[in-house]
Amino acid sequence: MTDPRALWAAVARASVNWKLLLPLLAGIEAVNRFAPASTSTLLTEVAILALFAASLNLLMSFGHMVSFGHAAYFGLGAYGFTLAVVRAGLPPEAALVVGPLVAALGGLIFGALCVRLTEIYFAMLTLACAQITYTVLFQWYDVTGGDTGITGFMTPRLGLSEAGYASVALWTVALALLALWAIVKSPLGLMIRAVGQDRARAEALGLGARKVQLTAFVIASFFAGIAGTLYAVLHGAVFPDYAGLGLTLDALIMVVLGGLNSFAGGVWGAVIYQLLSSVVPKFIHEWELVLGFVLLAICLMMPRGFVGLLHRLGLNRKGDK
Amino acid sequence: MQAILSARHIRKSYGAFVALRDISLDIPRGERHALIGPNGAGKSTFIACVAGQLSGVEGQMLFKDENVTALPPAALARRGIGRTFQISRAFLQMTVLENMMAAHVIASGQWASLSRRIYAERSGQACAMLETVGLADRARDRVADLSLGDRKRLEFGMALVGEPDLLLLDEPTAGMSIKERHALMEMVAARVDAEGRTLIFVEHDIDVVMKIAQRVTVMVRGAVLAAGTPSEIKANDEVQAVYLGGGH
Repeated sequence: MTDPRALWAAVARASVNWKLLLPLLAGIEAVNRFAPASTSTLLTEVAILALFAASLNLLMSFGHMVSFGHAAYFGLGAYGFTLAVVRAGLPPEAALVVGPLVAALGGLIFGALCVRLTEIYFAMLTLACAQITYTVLFQWYDVTGGDTGITGFMTPRLGLSEAGYASVALWTVALALLALWAIVKSPLGLMIRAVGQDRARAEALGLGARKVQLTAFVIASFFAGIAGTLYAVLHGAVFPDYAGLGLTLDALIMVVLGGLNSFAGGVWGAVIYQLLSSVVPKFIHEWELVLGFVLLAICLMMPRGFVGLLHRLGLNRKGDK
Repeated sequence: MQAILSARHIRKSYGAFVALRDISLDIPRGERHALIGPNGAGKSTFIACVAGQLSGVEGQMLFKDENVTALPPAALARRGIGRTFQISRAFLQMTVLENMMAAHVIASGQWASLSRRIYAERSGQACAMLETVGLADRARDRVADLSLGDRKRLEFGMALVGEPDLLLLDEPTAGMSIKERHALMEMVAARVDAEGRTLIFVEHDIDVVMKIAQRVTVMVRGAVLAAGTPSEIKANDEVQAVYLGGGH
């Protein structure tokens, strides 16, 4: 018989490919250091949205929970950080931890409602919760600044240069993605996949499916909150649109573009989406038209997205790196 | 012998259709008990009631003297009721070994753990169980790529991981050849006896039932028609007329 541990290691493939990852990060860092400021800002946005999409991907690809309201937790992270600075008087550096915690708390409260239902009803509840969040941010002028948001409360990027903040964001996102990867490969991650694939089987084995789904929801909200906080710091401002349906749709598109059922899908999707939205409008005014055709092509010809294409070309092991 | 499971006046209906009507039966601890009957008799519905998978069940279900009628499936599993499904259910996109490991993680209660130590601790047991159910050489394969029979075997192995006191197998041999059916059920019986478990199984292969079951309950149209030892059931004229067709 094969050595069980060796067999498990071969089956689960839990290791991170450091030989690929470290040079990749170093390469991005080098580009950041030598490129113009606008490129550094683009890199920062790509990194932040990659984390946001990866957090949604945890729910969608592994938990099979389609959320139509994930931007709520991005927005709660951004507003949690901002309000901690503006209303509680915390220094911005200290307030950085508040944003993700507020998002996680929001995930706990809304998630407890959402996981009571499944499939399209779950998706509708996530949408309802996000619309509640958006409306509160949009209407509560005394606290959130209403539709004009909150601006000018801090120096953008904590006073760092574009390249300096891009480094901070890049390495923070890299660490956050590694943490998400570790969660996916942990027993908890296995349980999230189990409930996503067959809830009845998981329950028949003794697993409380709702607890697992709620835990996944809170984790995804926490990481979306990190992304929202980084975004608020980047611009030194927050707006209700950070929790709006538009951003949720962007994240859904990123996950589909990158490839469902793959950890890297969300990350690749964010990279492709941001590059498309930055480059294509310079040549074609109606860039959404191009995006529409790209999405059509992906859904019809490459349902596993960009990661699936890499896998088909033999450039990606099992589509999960 | 003391009953591990007592069903008292169990009734389950779907609108006007009554799937189970006043089912009462006692299953002694350590018994291998078969549920047989024509399609639509309510066998799988009864199994689902015992496993807590149906709402709106009337009557009382006692498991180890505790009223478990309204408990959800996960709570019943943790109390010692394991099951397999009529239509095989496993985690299709995972490998065979990952399925078995998932069962181990659940059985250990460490579902929220972020430490991968349990994988190292349990991989030996997971592989041993795969050997037992004859799937060791398929450990790396996705469950979606397995045959129906292999999926049934995997499900059985996963159900055993939680060391259930009562094992419910709903048509465990469906999709298997005659030889495979007998081999699987002989393995199941040996394992269940050796570990002192109680077995309730739904089966259409009467030869398998006669060989494996110590007692048989015959159900027809949601009610119990007869119960007894395999030889008593075989000799029952009513059962012969309604289900066995006089051929046995």
